Amino acid sequence: MAPTARNVPALLQGLRAEGFSGTVRVSGLPGGAIHLRNGLVGAIETPGAPTATSALLTSGRIGDEDWLAACAAEPDADRLAGHLVAEGLIGAAELEVVCTAAVFDAAFAMALSPPGSWELSDREPALVAEPGVEPRQLTEETSRRMTLLSRLWGPPGELTRVRPAPVAGAGPRGSDGWLARRHRDVLDSVNGRRTPRDIAFALGRGLYAVMLDLIRMEALHLVQWETRTTADGRPSTAPRVPQAGATTAAPAPTPVPAAPDAAPLPKRRPGGVSPAQDVGQQKKGGW
Amino acid sequence: MGEMTTALQASLDRLLDSPGVTGVALVDAVTGLTYATAGDIAEAGDGPEVSEFATLIAERLGAAGADGELESVVTTTTKRHHVLFSVARPGGDPLILAAGLDRDRVNMALALRSLGDRASEVLA
Repeated sequence: MAPTARNVPALLQGLRAEGFSGTVRVSGLPGGAIHLRNGLVGAIETPGAPTATSALLTSGRIGDEDWLAACAAEPDADRLAGHLVAEGLIGAAELEVVCTAAVFDAAFAMALSPPGSWELSDREPALVAEPGVEPRQLTEETSRRMTLLSRLWGPPGELTRVRPAPVAGAGPRGSDGWLARRHRDVLDSVNGRRTPRDIAFALGRGLYAVMLDLIRMEALHLVQWETRTTADGRPSTAPRVPQAGATTAAPAPTPVPAAPDAAPLPKRRPGGVSPAQDVGQQKKGGW
Repeated sequence: MGEMTTALQASLDRLLDSPGVTGVALVDAVTGLTYATAGDIAEAGDGPEVSEFATLIAERLGAAGADGELESVVTTTTKRHHVLFSVARPGGDPLILAAGLDRDRVNMALALRSLGDRASEVLA
């Protein structure tokens, strides 16, 4: 049954009917591993989006040492969630939200480019959402996200390649006092070189959420796109912030502006994670 | 998300014990993803619409000079109230608890207070 499925959603739907527990490895860029438990999607690991683990650790909700101790005490990642809750490191409902959000975000990230082939393997331990997400729900939500981004911005695949920069002197009416904290964090992260994916990993947030925030912030004239006007949106070198004034005038009166800028940038060729074709034309829900 | 009752589901189910609460949903304020629902889903509202609505209001309030982040939104019709609460969270993107209330069965002030208190416990 599995090899004959016409796309990943159809494959997952078939595996749901079978109550399959195991892992589906999807090749491609970014590709990823989909962890199924009783036919439900418990976790997806892809280079295209932060995992639940990454979200938990980057946000500081669970400290690194606590995390390592928990992993040592409960080596089976499938049972790690229960252990984290039992140890009082995180609430069960909170963990459920984090894991579920990560599953939907990873599915979205994988859908941004056409998938390659897939193969099934035995269960590989993973930090899974309990009980997991219905494949049909995952497909519908992914389609909705693609459609919304296409309407708000344009081809979602192209949005993965933009490198937003802060607008010089940005800050609504000269002050960013009313900006939501997450918008301020995004503003502190954009520098004309990072893609939405880089920002998502740096903040431990979902790729889709970061993209939505960037679109909204562009509308508010807080950020601007660096590559939108380039011929095919893929500059051979990372564009620079136009002039020094842009960074010094950045609306970030926080006392630690140097930290994000000083951090080493991800070493990755521009566009290296995306295929050459226009991924925005992908069939709806065809991830 | 499945047949099993999870901690989150149990948490939302408990909110239906409050008088006049007809439906609740826990929604991601940024993505509009609905994490769990209880009661009449239509009464609680559609996730993407809820998040878009709250975002729009927060933005307009901010642009108008209001300080602080959005805490709640109450929409009232002749028959019902629809309430959105921000859910406190130690980290991660904000969440919204959306609730539909039967206007004939609730004292709005009390319901707001009670739900507001309990919104912060949803993720406990």
